[in-house]
Amino acid sequence: MQMENIQATLNKGPAVQAAKPTKMRSENVTVHYGAKQALNGINLDVPERQVTALIGPSGCGKSTYLRCLNRMNDTIDGCKVGGKITLDNEDIYDPSIDVVELRARVGMVFQKPNPFPKSIFENVAYGPKIHGLARNKNELDEIVHRSLERAGLLKEVKDRLDEPGTGLSGGQQQRLCIARAIAVSPEVILMDEPCSALDPIATATVEELIDELRENFTIVIVTHSMQQAARVSQVTAMFHLGDLAEVGPTEKMFSNPDDKRTQDYITGRFG
Amino acid sequence: MSTFTIILAVLAIGLVGAVLGYRRSRAFAFADGPKLHSRPVYHASYVASWAVIPSLLLLSAWLIVSPIVVYSSVSTSFPEGVLAETSLTEDLAYGIVESIGDGLRVLPPEERSTITDSTPVADVSSMLRARGVPIASAAADWMVPLALQLNSMQATSRLLMTGAVILLALAGAFWGYRHIQPRLRARNSVEGVVRGALIVASSIAILTTIGIVFSMLFETIDFFSRISPAEFFFGTEWNPRFSGAGSDGSAGSFGFIPLLAGTLYIAGVAMLIAVPIGLFAAIYMAEYADNKTRSIVKPLLEVLAGIPTIVYGFFALITVGPFLRDLSAQIAGITTGSYTSFIQAQSVLTAGLVMAIMLIPFVSSLSDDIITSVPRSLRDGSLGLGATRSETIKKVILPAALPGIVSALLLTASRAIGETMIVVLAAGVAANLTINPFEAMTTITVKIVAQLTGDLEFNSPQTLVAFALGMTLFFLTLCLNIYALYIVRKYKEQYE
Repeated sequence: MQMENIQATLNKGPAVQAAKPTKMRSENVTVHYGAKQALNGINLDVPERQVTALIGPSGCGKSTYLRCLNRMNDTIDGCKVGGKITLDNEDIYDPSIDVVELRARVGMVFQKPNPFPKSIFENVAYGPKIHGLARNKNELDEIVHRSLERAGLLKEVKDRLDEPGTGLSGGQQQRLCIARAIAVSPEVILMDEPCSALDPIATATVEELIDELRENFTIVIVTHSMQQAARVSQVTAMFHLGDLAEVGPTEKMFSNPDDKRTQDYITGRFG
Repeated sequence: MSTFTIILAVLAIGLVGAVLGYRRSRAFAFADGPKLHSRPVYHASYVASWAVIPSLLLLSAWLIVSPIVVYSSVSTSFPEGVLAETSLTEDLAYGIVESIGDGLRVLPPEERSTITDSTPVADVSSMLRARGVPIASAAADWMVPLALQLNSMQATSRLLMTGAVILLALAGAFWGYRHIQPRLRARNSVEGVVRGALIVASSIAILTTIGIVFSMLFETIDFFSRISPAEFFFGTEWNPRFSGAGSDGSAGSFGFIPLLAGTLYIAGVAMLIAVPIGLFAAIYMAEYADNKTRSIVKPLLEVLAGIPTIVYGFFALITVGPFLRDLSAQIAGITTGSYTSFIQAQSVLTAGLVMAIMLIPFVSSLSDDIITSVPRSLRDGSLGLGATRSETIKKVILPAALPGIVSALLLTASRAIGETMIVVLAAGVAANLTINPFEAMTTITVKIVAQLTGDLEFNSPQTLVAFALGMTLFFLTLCLNIYALYIVRKYKEQYE
């Protein structure tokens, strides 16, 4: 990893905008898998309508943290989450919060594209249908088309909406999953290494898409590629061994990190 | 030497060969010169294969061929015309000769030496009877020399066989040992042997199936030459009228429809009850239960699968049947005032109910495996969109698992169709044709048992019909299983 490369990327990237209000706030978040502690008290603010990148070496807890934000960890046996996470100042682990409603507000795109074994149309219509977002067939049609359009996939698939989603290429599948997530109109989209299974061209398309989605959605993305973090994010958080090593504006993180671990990681000394 | 001793000897030769081969190749491995192609253990297996396989093949061939040769040489020397005088067939006469021969070997040497070609059969018989070997009364004097001849032929054959097999084993071991060289591709040869052994193992199952079909086929054809297939397949009355000794030989009616209807009806009732319960149990175990609950509930459910079906039969006969009968009497009493039960103790419902209990673990266990094999990513994708668990199961997991579940259900159905003991005890043996589930019906399997047990002539349609029924049942379940396989294959294509 060359510092110059990242610098060049940053200079071309979008200008960092004025500080945005906080969308999700984490206070002293801990996660235990059985007896093993995976996160040791994370304090992190996710700004609204910005892309926040979570970086760090494998096993540092960034995916675990991401899955706390929409309580996907609830589905894992023996996983215990402590501390407090708020979405618009509401505690998402409060018993009065309905986890299903939360996940409709905080959507997720996974590492490996996972379209359902249904048609492309049905894949996107799945969320709106279960949440009753469309009153009739026409509205549903419109939601599906708009979501595919925003995911930059409509042009490629509009003639074959009835074909199975699993028949698309890897990059198209991942954009289908993004379309599926935004069809529910979430406020926050979590992305867990969305490009790790894609080739460079598909990656570039998805990255462009992420940049566009920033206008309407708050995005948190886990990535192993430092260039990707530099290209798409405005805020970067560096995780290390279950701790939050450092968090700050992406430009500063890559040019002048405060933390020795961040510096070592982005210059490729470990990780 | 007995066959078992010969096999042991061959294996011992193989083992010694392997040890020697191992040492020889080790010597090459540490010597200068070309690098060893295969590890010494492959060379050892190579020598052992050469020693064991050809000799055991010879042994089995000899064991098959030798009795045929002995039979033909002995039976051709039967005296002219004796078979025509008595009512003996050639097979039967040979059988008596063979049993005399076997008996002679039991005798102590000093008694046996007194028997010559001219000893009358009566003397031999009495000597043998004293040793506890009964001889058929049809035995004749001319059989004694043949029995002696038979014994000597068998002894010679065994001696030759022992010699030939052990020589071949030694030769094979020597051949293999001499072939060991650093560049010998022993690994490839041994892999070939392993492959061959696996092929043999799998073809045994297939050949057995074919054998079963043929064993039924000839009897079935015999049956259909006496009773027309149309009468069998479309007849609606089952009343074979047992033909014992001394009956006039008139055939009864062999209508297969009541049995087919009973089979499908009982299996249908059982599936109707077992499928929802088993499926829901599977969904609970795969999707809702935590690991601890699952580790307790799943084995408990599978215990049900281990209960012998005859025990389910008892349960039906002494508990479920009377309970349903009494319950129906109570219901009838409350509604009509007359306490007559409308459910018979032995009924389709009883059998279906108890069979369902037997099938639940099959449905739940197979479906559970299929549901858990749906990739976790699909589950996460759906939950991540804010779907509830039941929405995820209904809209994503079950559609994805459906082909697998359907094939599991078809396998379960073929079990239900083949079930016998529960039906005998719970649904009775009366071949009724009815649509009332509260009455007794019976199944194909039960009638097969009924037609083949008891003191019956083996070449009457009454007995032969069992083979026709068996063949029909075989094809019924075969079709179900093939359809299940077809669906499984389609499912695999979708997910790879």
